[in-house]
Amino acid sequence: MPTRKPTAIVFAAGLVVIVAGTAGLLLTRHSTPVLRPVAAGVAALPAPTGPIAAPPQSAQPAPVASPVSLTIPLIGVKTQLITLGLTAGGALQVPSTTSVAGWYTGSPRPGAVGSAIIVGHIDSLTGPGVFFRLSELSSGDDVYVKRADGTTVRFRVTSVQTYLKDHFPTQTVYGPTPDAELRLITCGGAFDAATGHYLGNIVVYATEVS
Amino acid sequence: MLLAASALLLGIPAAAATASAASATSGTGWIRLAHLSPNTPPVDVYLYSFGNSSAQIVLHHVAYGTVSPYEAVTAGDYSVAMRATGASPSSQPVLSTSVTVKADHAYTVAGMGPESGLRLVVLDDQLTTPSGKSEVRVIQASLKQQTVKFTCGGQTIVPKATFASVSSYQAIPASTWTMQAIGSGATATGRFDMAPGTVHTMVVLDGTNGLEIVNLEDAAGAGQPPVGGVTTGFGGTAGHGPGSPVPWLALIGAGTLIALTGGFRLRRQGLRRQLHTGV
Repeated sequence: MPTRKPTAIVFAAGLVVIVAGTAGLLLTRHSTPVLRPVAAGVAALPAPTGPIAAPPQSAQPAPVASPVSLTIPLIGVKTQLITLGLTAGGALQVPSTTSVAGWYTGSPRPGAVGSAIIVGHIDSLTGPGVFFRLSELSSGDDVYVKRADGTTVRFRVTSVQTYLKDHFPTQTVYGPTPDAELRLITCGGAFDAATGHYLGNIVVYATEVS
Repeated sequence: MLLAASALLLGIPAAAATASAASATSGTGWIRLAHLSPNTPPVDVYLYSFGNSSAQIVLHHVAYGTVSPYEAVTAGDYSVAMRATGASPSSQPVLSTSVTVKADHAYTVAGMGPESGLRLVVLDDQLTTPSGKSEVRVIQASLKQQTVKFTCGGQTIVPKATFASVSSYQAIPASTWTMQAIGSGATATGRFDMAPGTVHTMVVLDGTNGLEIVNLEDAAGAGQPPVGGVTTGFGGTAGHGPGSPVPWLALIGAGTLIALTGGFRLRRQGLRRQLHTGV
């Protein structure tokens, strides 16, 4: 019979689909664990050598050079700094790769009066990003920024905060300050698999010290 | 299970986030100290937190025209004392005043006026500007030119600044400006970079020759502050719960339907064949 063969094929195809669905169901029943940084008691990187530039004076402040690299010895961060602007919607751009951090060119240069804003990824689709261990920092830890003229400025962490993106305190993070400060920003909190985004931001506040 | 999942997604309770927003800078303000009295000799300036007899900050040999950088201090009550240079820290100060530092506020405490009428003035400094603008105010600290007109780009911004006066802040377009302090017997001119989001105090001083303008940067922020937080993660380290079983269950359902349809036809065809052959 000419119709017998195709109907048998339909039946077989149905069975194949059932097997595929069952296999898919069984293979996706496991969870992948959260990857947590291993807390390190000692600095993973040496502090940069060489003189540390003095914090800016109130009177006749001297212009400072653009930032070129960032070192955070305690959490093993040593990265070039790329430049970042704003998106069409007015939000901060983020680096296109997860292995470097970037400085927002609309914010003061690190070491000048005001809050310099530096942004990096916590992770990529597959593993840790440049700011994976940012949340390990705490008050008193040192952060170094090297500038295009070879000078280095040192910042000391004053506070580490986690905010829901829906309640991000824009003024506190990006607002003006009368001294030279630094903000290091990455993602944090819970990951929303539905949107592919973290629900929070981690912000490290630091102030320049000599 | 659904409840557990949504709790996992929300992660940080909203209440915790708002609390930390307040505590990020809670309790920190800034203070800077200035000597702006032309005929007063250099002084030692002491900053005490209220009720503490040992000074938190001591600036030695502060001469006329000196302004310290801002120091971050815990919000609260302080007193500022001026003593003659080299005087014992336990001696009676020449002058003292109290200042209440509020969180997120910046203050300038300046010795102003002539030596005979020296006083400590506490100024509440501004930190913010209208978007993309710069803010400027003028302190007239010249004794030789009692009244000074202050201009910016040829426009008068303070018509008659008298000795030891402080103007209010004014917003000006961000640019590099030529500013002038014009007294009856002397004029000072300078070019100053007023970047967007920056706040400045221009101090008019008696220089060695006529007048001088000193540019104090009171604060700086992003000229154009970004909107909201940042999107800096793809979840590669976040861990995932098991994916939704719904698509797989739907697939099994579809497969069952297809197989049933096929199987049904197969049976019907089998029956028909039996009828035709008469078996």
